[in-house]
Amino acid sequence: MTVAGPAETLRDELSALERAYALGHHGRSVAERRADLVDACIRALFSDAGAPEGVALVATGGYGRRAQLPASDVDLLIVHDDERAAASVADALLYPLWDAAFVVGHAVRTPEACRAAAAEHLDAWTAMLDGRPVAGDASLADRALAAVRAAARSDAPGFARRIREAAKVRRDRYGSCAHLLEPDLKEGSGGLRDVASLGWLSAAIGADLAMGGVLRAREREAADAAEDFLIRVRSGVQLLTGKRDARLIAELQPDVAREVGFVDEPDLPAPDALMRAIFLYARDVEHVAWLAVERIVGDATPPSYPPRDTASVLASLAEAAEAGRVPSPSLLDAVEAADVPEPVRWDGATRVAFLRLLRAGDAGAAMLDVLDRIGLLGRYLPAWSAVRCRPQRDPYHRSTVDAHLVTTARRLAEMLAQGDPDDPVEAAAIADVDRSDALLLGALLHDIGKVGVGGHVELGAAIARETVEAMGVGAPDADLVVFMVAEHLLLPDTATRRDLSDEDLLLDVAARVGTPARLGALYLLAKADADATGPAAWTPWRATLIRELVAKVQRIFDRGQMGEELAAQLADRTERVRELLRDQPERDVDRFVLRMPRGYFLATDPARAADHARLIAAPVGANEVRTAAVAGSRTETYEVVVVAADRPGLLSWIAGALALEGVSILSAQAFTTDDGVALDVFEVEGAFEPEITERRWRAFRATLRRTIEGSISLERRVDDKRRYYAAPRLPAPVTIRDHNDVSEFSTVIEVGAPDRIGLLFDITRTFADLHLDVHLAKVATFDGRVVDSFYVRDGLGRKIVDTDLLAEIDASLRARLES
Amino acid sequence: MKLVTAIVKPHRIDDVKDALREIGVGGLTTTDVEGFGRQRGHTEVYRGAEYQVDFVPKVKVEIVVEDDDVDGIVDAIAKAARTGKIGDGKLWVSDVDRVMRIRTGEMGPDALSG
Repeated sequence: MTVAGPAETLRDELSALERAYALGHHGRSVAERRADLVDACIRALFSDAGAPEGVALVATGGYGRRAQLPASDVDLLIVHDDERAAASVADALLYPLWDAAFVVGHAVRTPEACRAAAAEHLDAWTAMLDGRPVAGDASLADRALAAVRAAARSDAPGFARRIREAAKVRRDRYGSCAHLLEPDLKEGSGGLRDVASLGWLSAAIGADLAMGGVLRAREREAADAAEDFLIRVRSGVQLLTGKRDARLIAELQPDVAREVGFVDEPDLPAPDALMRAIFLYARDVEHVAWLAVERIVGDATPPSYPPRDTASVLASLAEAAEAGRVPSPSLLDAVEAADVPEPVRWDGATRVAFLRLLRAGDAGAAMLDVLDRIGLLGRYLPAWSAVRCRPQRDPYHRSTVDAHLVTTARRLAEMLAQGDPDDPVEAAAIADVDRSDALLLGALLHDIGKVGVGGHVELGAAIARETVEAMGVGAPDADLVVFMVAEHLLLPDTATRRDLSDEDLLLDVAARVGTPARLGALYLLAKADADATGPAAWTPWRATLIRELVAKVQRIFDRGQMGEELAAQLADRTERVRELLRDQPERDVDRFVLRMPRGYFLATDPARAADHARLIAAPVGANEVRTAAVAGSRTETYEVVVVAADRPGLLSWIAGALALEGVSILSAQAFTTDDGVALDVFEVEGAFEPEITERRWRAFRATLRRTIEGSISLERRVDDKRRYYAAPRLPAPVTIRDHNDVSEFSTVIEVGAPDRIGLLFDITRTFADLHLDVHLAKVATFDGRVVDSFYVRDGLGRKIVDTDLLAEIDASLRARLES
Repeated sequence: MKLVTAIVKPHRIDDVKDALREIGVGGLTTTDVEGFGRQRGHTEVYRGAEYQVDFVPKVKVEIVVEDDDVDGIVDAIAKAARTGKIGDGKLWVSDVDRVMRIRTGEMGPDALSG
């Protein structure tokens, strides 16, 4: 039986320590106890090695600070002035520890080598600034450590600058513990390495930071509290995984939260509460570490005017941001002492200063962070407290809600200051939106409704309304801000999930947006929002789809197909149709409104639409024809609506059947429901006698039905009929023009021809022969000459861009109309 | 075992997912992809300014299935993704040598079930 050596004993003691405290309660004091146990082991091993002279054992790094975490390395420095003695101590020390599965980081150096290592590597320097003699020749250890400390003290501002640079490198690489959802608790900004930096800075000034006037007592206490909490969390992660990992991945958060003692609340689940606490503590660390560095570096310029009230606090920070300066300690002290009531009563000067901060981009965002850390931002924006440090759980976001909002505003400010030369949509949007204040506020508030109680968009719009009203923002800007918050998902959701070739969808988007300026605002917000979400959110994939949507909606505005007025008119008309159909079941009315294209409601009188609703309510049989005729807009004209199952050529058959029955078509509009029922509306008059009797309508229905069934040839009958009537005396030339710039979805073909019986039949059956769909026909007759416009699409529902097909259409129409 | 790969329009993906769920497909992988086929990339003009759209955004769906299930899955995807317009996408089936469920080490059809 072998007697357990010191290393095995340490292993047992650490296991006992692990069991002595709940997994989530291994804080600062437990870490100190752990370091003490390691000390005892090292001393025992050293004494077992014969405690040779000329050697000192120094604890460095976390172990040196007595912050030894469960799975962290044991960092050891062997200082010597006798290389052989050092080598034997190293063997006697390291092998037992390694055998007991400890990871020991070690360095073997003379005091002179210590100074050289410190000069060469900042990491080695700071590790030795944490140094603490554990065993061996104390004077040797002191000699080595004193030299390292003296090097830092000889130029404290220079040392602080190196700490600042290193912190920036770490922040760029590991991000921040103050808002990232999977923070690196050790290396992340606001993490344990930043806590440790306070100790290094204190070594550099040769005194405790609070005693030395660098930190106020409150700041020092905040950092201490944060350290204890972050050690608890990181120790919890290590104990759960058994590894020295510092990254708190999402998977571990529920377990760590439970162990640390968080419980689910209605608007904040336990893992979110854990993360929120980490963010709050890390913000304290970030802020205090930054203050300490800047106060020691001491190159911040004092403000040109001291902050005293709500406006001048913001103005002084804006001034610093615009000059690219860090706020001086004296400025921050004055900001903290300023009279800022809770909540702030906004005035013009406060608003102007706040917007200056938003406009200042990156530097302005840093100042918002400062306001947040000092605890003032919530006084200016009471709604901020509910999103402050709030984690977002989805596959895209990496930051808290508040950090995301600040970043989005920053990105938008950058876009306003310097647009993306490769994005013409962005450039046009910036030119259109002349309300940059509203844009920045909209970006800052777009997710303000994410307070943990579902449906954030609607709630966000209400909170944004309250917020801008409290700020005293004028009506047009305030309306745009609320609109941006309420509709910030419209473009990305529609573009990525809906069919962008659906005309009604685009008309709906255009109606909701209303103006090019609002469209531009939503585009800029969508881009800034995606940029702020994570590096992968504004992908070419997403950008292409969103740009396609914006371009199509913009063209709808350009053509006047939809806009604020038309949107209001459309809403008004559908509302009136609903009123007129009060006697019908609501579900049927909803169905009708959804079934019909938007263009139908814009083109149709509500009273007629209500009649149509009744006419097409019952399912339409395959060969069924329904008609209804009422008095037309002029005397002796009729408006007749024809309902039948849609099929290629239907419009031409209706036109032919009307011609056969002696009915002249003055105008025609063809609509198709989303379930394939044609509803075609004609303004007609009797060709020979003013009155069109019911008998004649009946005959028309019969002719049309027999044509649909295929039992008669309309073509032969119309030709027969035509033979009895003379051709026009002065044959006018046939003119045919095609336009592809009038409509987003249809090619417009304009046909001018001398009037004759069955002319519309001839034109539309030519289209049917070529598998073209007529979506709208405008027919006008002047003095024996007809000028008709047809909105047509090809068999796949597209505009006709193929020049061969356009030539074929032209030739076919001429052949038929000139015969 | 077969790998069914489909490239579909982004707005059809929910329907494809629903159709596959309906016939009991337990899992699939989707990726946002860009490319071109007959529906080429093109130059867009936005209010006078030109910009190039080199690739058309699509979604790629991948499912590894047992041989007997291939026909039903191909039908379901094709039906759900079809709009009848250009750019509805493509679908292909390829052989799969080996499948492992990483967590359990189950191989072959065992790794697909459930």
